[in-house]
Amino acid sequence: MNTTPSIPHPARQIGRILRRFGTLIGFFAIVLFFWSQRPDTFMTVRNWLNITQQISILGVVAFTMTVVMVMGDYDLSVGAMASLGGIAAALLFQQEMPVLTGIAVALLIGVAGGLLNGVLVSLVGITPFVATLGMLTVFSGVAFFISEGETIFGRAIPEQFSDFARGGIPLGTIGEQAVLLPNLTIVALLVLLAVWVLLEQTTFGRRLYAIGGNKEAARLGGVRLRLLRLIAFAVTGVGAAVAGLMLVSRLASANPTQGDGLMLDAIAAVFLGMTMSEEGEPHVLGTLVGVLILGVLRNGLTQLAIDSYVQQILTGAIIILAVTLSRLIRRAS
Amino acid sequence: MSRRKFQGFISVVFIVAALLSFGAAGIVAQDDITVAVVTPYLAQPGTQFMVEAFQAAGEANGWTVNVIDTAGDVAAAVSRLEDVAAQGVDAIVINVDPAQVSVGLEAAAAAGIPVFGMDAGADANLVTNVTSNGYAMAAETATYVTDRLNGVGRIVMFTFDPYPPVQKRGIIADAIFANSPDIEIIDRVTPDVTDGGIADSRARMEAILAANPEAGSISAVWAAWDQPALGALQAIEAAGREGEGIVIVGIDANPQALDAIAAGNGFEASVAQDFTGIGGTVADAVARHLAGEIIGQGVIYVPTVLVTAANVAEFISE
Repeated sequence: MNTTPSIPHPARQIGRILRRFGTLIGFFAIVLFFWSQRPDTFMTVRNWLNITQQISILGVVAFTMTVVMVMGDYDLSVGAMASLGGIAAALLFQQEMPVLTGIAVALLIGVAGGLLNGVLVSLVGITPFVATLGMLTVFSGVAFFISEGETIFGRAIPEQFSDFARGGIPLGTIGEQAVLLPNLTIVALLVLLAVWVLLEQTTFGRRLYAIGGNKEAARLGGVRLRLLRLIAFAVTGVGAAVAGLMLVSRLASANPTQGDGLMLDAIAAVFLGMTMSEEGEPHVLGTLVGVLILGVLRNGLTQLAIDSYVQQILTGAIIILAVTLSRLIRRAS
Repeated sequence: MSRRKFQGFISVVFIVAALLSFGAAGIVAQDDITVAVVTPYLAQPGTQFMVEAFQAAGEANGWTVNVIDTAGDVAAAVSRLEDVAAQGVDAIVINVDPAQVSVGLEAAAAAGIPVFGMDAGADANLVTNVTSNGYAMAAETATYVTDRLNGVGRIVMFTFDPYPPVQKRGIIADAIFANSPDIEIIDRVTPDVTDGGIADSRARMEAILAANPEAGSISAVWAAWDQPALGALQAIEAAGREGEGIVIVGIDANPQALDAIAAGNGFEASVAQDFTGIGGTVADAVARHLAGEIIGQGVIYVPTVLVTAANVAEFISE
């Protein structure tokens, strides 16, 4: 891939920049467009903090999804796991258990569910698509079973827990209102940092990329394929559970389906991010751009009062366009 | 095409496509009154009627009505409430439980935007909520049964106290039946609703029929919503006891119940919410508030209609 000639060729360099950063440039174009259309309300500190809060939950799922997608695997069960983790915590809250107990149990369920996916994929050898699709149904069924299909809300959710999603670190005041860096945004940033360190700065991460590059070669090269895949799925599972807890806090309620929509958006965000990598590999910072594109599109299109069904069509079309183009580029090269 | 030309071309196409897709946005007027309607439930027929009536009334007032459906996703409804609050619309209408979107309602309050409930539930963050009166609906069908039996008979009740809007219906029916000394409640059943409410209600009714084998030992079935009434009807028909004149009533007037009422084999009455009226009343409340009127009622009730064989045809044709 490194075909840069010794004498820099300006056109080639521009091509390279565009190839690498085309999606990012597209993102900025979208931002500029919304800014020009809604100059007073879109490009404000408050709206951007608002967007970061709205994408924080999807971000956590997508960042941790990146970990399994680095190996070329998928986890289709993340949405159901988010629902399950959230409702499990809410049920414990309803039993007047301490908030920390509820959080700990939800996280444990995330780890256990992720390990179960890992066992099916890595030890039993079922393809990730089938294994995690099956577990999606199982997690969803368990969520319905333990909650009897009901929504848990009101006093059952401790204020201490639901206030978390309303709070944040004060940044100052604009006009008469305080501006906060939302707690949910902070959680998402911490998860982003953790996944970035894990994938980009550790031997573990490099081995995952080696598996993604060529499983057989990685195995022959001494990579403990099975163990690494197990751990990677556990990370994705716990990320989904964290997202489920964030949802319960944001909605001050839990129901057995509320995280289900996260899975497809998370995979879409990772794919959008992959268009920014020369090798077409997932990188968590690329995933961040993918999540931002989805979040900004929804915020901006809503502010422009575009019909919600047209919004869906546009969002889907933009995802397909970006990923198709990136694939064509790689085929051409 | 060379690789780099191709790459440059691709990037340009992406940007242009992104911009072109939004071309339509330019035509949205910014100066007039804009009202956002946020709901996760637009796929429900009742919500559709309410939203359409609201749109019609709003457009007649010259408003721009922006309907946002999040397709069942309540978290997305919170985000969209924050978006329209940032956008600075003139008013917001919600059709979702206010307790679940309180973060979004706070965003609207911080931006000074009034929020109205459209069959949403009462909440301090709403200017008002327009809905149907659950107490009144239950009173309609319970008095219907009492009158049909001339105050004498044995009644099976299907209720569901865990769900507050349905629990309200049950206690009203309890009070009305208790006021007739010759009415006896032979069972007050809480069916399992995880299967939709019909199947388990049918099974429970079959057991009650078996326990009361004599013709005339059951006079009526009062159900707090339509599904148990439909289950009871099936049980009565399966037991071959439809000739005993057991009176069955439900609430909600769902399409299956309307068909059963029209068929005239025991299911005699249900109550229809006036969804079109709710939508229009919300528009009226928004207009009054924007005109500076202070709306004192936290909840505004729109009258419901008792549906019987006499008027069922007009509901089926809708």
